[in-house]
Amino acid sequence: MSTETANPVNQARSTIYQLLSSLFAKEIDHKTLHELTSTQAQAFWSQLAAEASFKADVDVLVAEFAKLNSDKALLELAADYCGLFLVGTKNSASPYASLYLTDTPVAKGDEPLLFGEQHQQMTQFLKQSQLQVQSEFPEPADHLAVILAYVAHINMHCSNQQQLEFIRDNLANWLATFVAKVAKVDTGNFYIALAQLTLAWVNSDLEWLESED
Amino acid sequence: MNRRDFLKGLVGTSYVVLSGSSVLAPLNALAASGAKASDGWLTTGSHFGAFKMKRKNGVIDQVIPFDRDKYPTDMINGVKGLVYNPSRVRYPMVRLDFLLKGHKSDTSQRGDFRFVRVTWDKALSLFKDSLDEVQTKYGPSGLHAGQTGWRATGQLHSSTSHMQRAVGMHGNFVKKVGDYSTGAGQTILPYILGSTEVYAQGTSWPLILENSKTIILWSNDPYKNLQVGWNAETHESYAYLAELKEKVAKGEIRVISIDPVVTKTQQYLGCEQLYVNPQTDVALMLGIAHEMVAKNLHDTKFIEGYSLGFDRFLPYIQGETDGVEKTPEWAAEITGVSAEIIRDLAKVMTKSRTQMLMGWCIQRQQHGEQPYWMAAVLATMIGQIGLPGGGISYGHHYSSIGVPSSGAAAPGAFPRNLDEDQKPLFNSNDFKGTSSTIPVARWIDAILEPGKTIDSNGSKVTFPDIKMMVFSGNNPWNHHQDRNRMKQAFQKLECVVTIDMNWTATCRFSDIVLPACTTFERNDIDVYGSYANRGVLAMQKMVEPLYESLSDFEIFTRFARIMGKEKEYTRGMTEREWLNKLYTDCKNANAGKFEMPEFDEFWKQGYVHFGEGKPWTRHAAFREDPEINPLGTPSGLIEIFSRKIAQYQYDDCPGHPTWMEKSERSHGGPGSDKFPVWMQSCHPDKRLHSQMCESEQYRETYTVNGREPVYLNPNDAKKRGIKAGDVVRVFNDRGQLLAGAVVSNNFPKGVIRIHEGAWYGPVGEDGSKEGGAEIGALCSYGDPNTLTQDIGTSKLAQACSAYTCLVEFEKYQGKVPRVSSFSGPVEIAL
Repeated sequence: MSTETANPVNQARSTIYQLLSSLFAKEIDHKTLHELTSTQAQAFWSQLAAEASFKADVDVLVAEFAKLNSDKALLELAADYCGLFLVGTKNSASPYASLYLTDTPVAKGDEPLLFGEQHQQMTQFLKQSQLQVQSEFPEPADHLAVILAYVAHINMHCSNQQQLEFIRDNLANWLATFVAKVAKVDTGNFYIALAQLTLAWVNSDLEWLESED
Repeated sequence: MNRRDFLKGLVGTSYVVLSGSSVLAPLNALAASGAKASDGWLTTGSHFGAFKMKRKNGVIDQVIPFDRDKYPTDMINGVKGLVYNPSRVRYPMVRLDFLLKGHKSDTSQRGDFRFVRVTWDKALSLFKDSLDEVQTKYGPSGLHAGQTGWRATGQLHSSTSHMQRAVGMHGNFVKKVGDYSTGAGQTILPYILGSTEVYAQGTSWPLILENSKTIILWSNDPYKNLQVGWNAETHESYAYLAELKEKVAKGEIRVISIDPVVTKTQQYLGCEQLYVNPQTDVALMLGIAHEMVAKNLHDTKFIEGYSLGFDRFLPYIQGETDGVEKTPEWAAEITGVSAEIIRDLAKVMTKSRTQMLMGWCIQRQQHGEQPYWMAAVLATMIGQIGLPGGGISYGHHYSSIGVPSSGAAAPGAFPRNLDEDQKPLFNSNDFKGTSSTIPVARWIDAILEPGKTIDSNGSKVTFPDIKMMVFSGNNPWNHHQDRNRMKQAFQKLECVVTIDMNWTATCRFSDIVLPACTTFERNDIDVYGSYANRGVLAMQKMVEPLYESLSDFEIFTRFARIMGKEKEYTRGMTEREWLNKLYTDCKNANAGKFEMPEFDEFWKQGYVHFGEGKPWTRHAAFREDPEINPLGTPSGLIEIFSRKIAQYQYDDCPGHPTWMEKSERSHGGPGSDKFPVWMQSCHPDKRLHSQMCESEQYRETYTVNGREPVYLNPNDAKKRGIKAGDVVRVFNDRGQLLAGAVVSNNFPKGVIRIHEGAWYGPVGEDGSKEGGAEIGALCSYGDPNTLTQDIGTSKLAQACSAYTCLVEFEKYQGKVPRVSSFSGPVEIAL
């Protein structure tokens, strides 16, 4: 580990991972929405949309932000979030790595228990970096938000090679399956776009890390 | 643009997009030091057994039986699956439309809707606001918080106690009388034998094994049902069943299982079966009684000295009152048991010491009072009540009944009621002329027909107009009958609150759902050995409550805080102080009789053992001297004829045991021309009611094609083109379900079995879509109460009649829908 990698580019990458983590960690409230639509954020979104592979999803997100103009709209989005990420696993897209890394098909109903192997593995990674999951976030450590936040951390503290390995072995290996599940079960637009953007971002970031070698 | 330029372009814009904190935090000192102090073996227990659990890296790693449990159930393998279940209720949640519109929400959405997460404070405030609204607008008759069930074990965190004490501090509410397991039995038997009998300690197994020559298992499957117990079960009964098996093999005891199906117990013991047509046991008993009288086999001396009213019953047997003599031939016609066998049974039961062991199933049918009453009459005619290894028991299949009790005092519980000087916030007792207590299984009737007056156990009950229900540790969307009727009723409710650990169907049909932690996420104390009261168990917390779930104590302490009554609620004591108090009170009660260490020592040890008990014979004191030790009946004697019941003048429960035809009966009975098959929905072999159905990997050990098994007779299956493993649609005019076919000779023609407790998972009526709030929805998993009948047993008990149920079945031809029972709330595509 070194800190010399904390250059502005890594800082930007880290911020994006952190942002994605936050959006998967909890529902969007007024405060978050305000920040996501600030002048500074608008500049950020348009810069992000400059990349062709992100544009469609960023456009959807920005359009969805504009629709979140009432308490009711925010609650509807919170209900989407709840249905996708907070209840059950079969008709939802629970954001736990363990559910997507199992050999048995999910359709059979033979799903692994939560707080299992992947949770332990992530807990070990966090511990090595002198980190743990916030007590206010009482979720297994293989929750997508935790993994994204951890990538945000290693962006600043680990070599590109280490980052590459972690992302490839702990995120990219299940993210596409998860995103497909979100696309299948989400009744709204927001979380499909967010999930797809996350996948596109992670893929492009992997490419970049590989090209930096 | 190349990637590096693109990233550089982002640099300026992305520094502060979101200011919120990360989901990560610096490792705290304790965890950083790698402290493993918390890992290791701890003691705990549940309905499935007392056990030891190993904690490793902060999670439950292994579960093994408690040292003193020599016959553990394999359900122990499902325990981890309860805790780390994907269907856990993770956060307090509110149905979206209820959050937006409160008591004016669209209630037809219940069952397929959208929920949102809220904070505990918000959820509990909404809960209290709803209670305020109901108490203000309707008074206590608008609230039913009395529908309670099997909860989880533990005397401190008992969900029923906490919910009822807390809600009771807010205001008064409608309560229930009776339960679904033994509703008819516990109502009729006090008239006949002076106590409920079903929940009474019975003659000790050692005395039965020593003295009985014949044991009649009447509709009774103890080998299946003793796996679970009301307290932390230690399965001592199984040692006696093993002895019985040996005695059966040696020909020392003859065991006859009177049952339409080959039970698990019969298979284990290698004993005889006497097949009887479903729901016709009373006719069989009457035929036996007739033969006893005809051959003068009955004990007239015992009948004279210990019972009342045989003279009023005899004319019925002999056909003088209704023109139908209850001969073995008459009984044979109805029961499918030959007259010859009936005659032989009368002889066998009277020639030597005979212990009758009744199961509970036959009283969960229309006129379910009658088989229990008539069985008591048979036992009286045999004349061995009060003798070791003779007489009748209604509980040897339940919670270690028959295992000699230690005689020690058990720990008390957190109080269910208000303390004497405490008053609720809304102190009205104005139930507006309706009843404050209703028979347990009649609440759906009440919701659908408020103001209606029914007969019930000698009084009149007028249904309150229920607007809100609160459930805690209870899943009526398992145990109540007729799902489609329940849906109609739930659409009339303004607010439903459910507190549970996993997304049961009851949670899914609620407005506010609060996450309780499991037994293994809190400290508690309980008896182990159930009725044997073998010792006290420290139920040590294995892991912190997962997600945002809380213990029952914590949930309702917070609720009391919102009411400004926290101190009243907890009496100013913490969880630890309560545990200490419950234990120390128990220690004091046992002082001089049973040695118990101080609390801290006990907690360290994990348990305190009370030792073996002394064998005991039920009703022996009564037999010894019925005047000094009378029964609790009006006469103090066994009442073959009950003047009290006769005075009620109920057409469906006259003054002595009577054979009455059922509204639905297979094997030539009413309705069998349209739906020819009788469905039995007995207690499951691999669950405790609906508890543990959600445990995924364990469920996989018994499901068929991902569905609850339906057990079918080979000829019945063949006739319908069904093979083992097929998905079968079972249906009648009340509903339809899918289940997985198991074809077995243990089930006779015209009889199928689906165990109750199979989680309700409705999908669209044609199985084509998820959801299923609509009436007529297909149950995708196989909940038998989709098909059962929601009628009272009689005007006496008004208990559930799940066993009076005819169905038809076929190979399912449609597209097989996904099982929706274990997914949490499902949103229907609009």
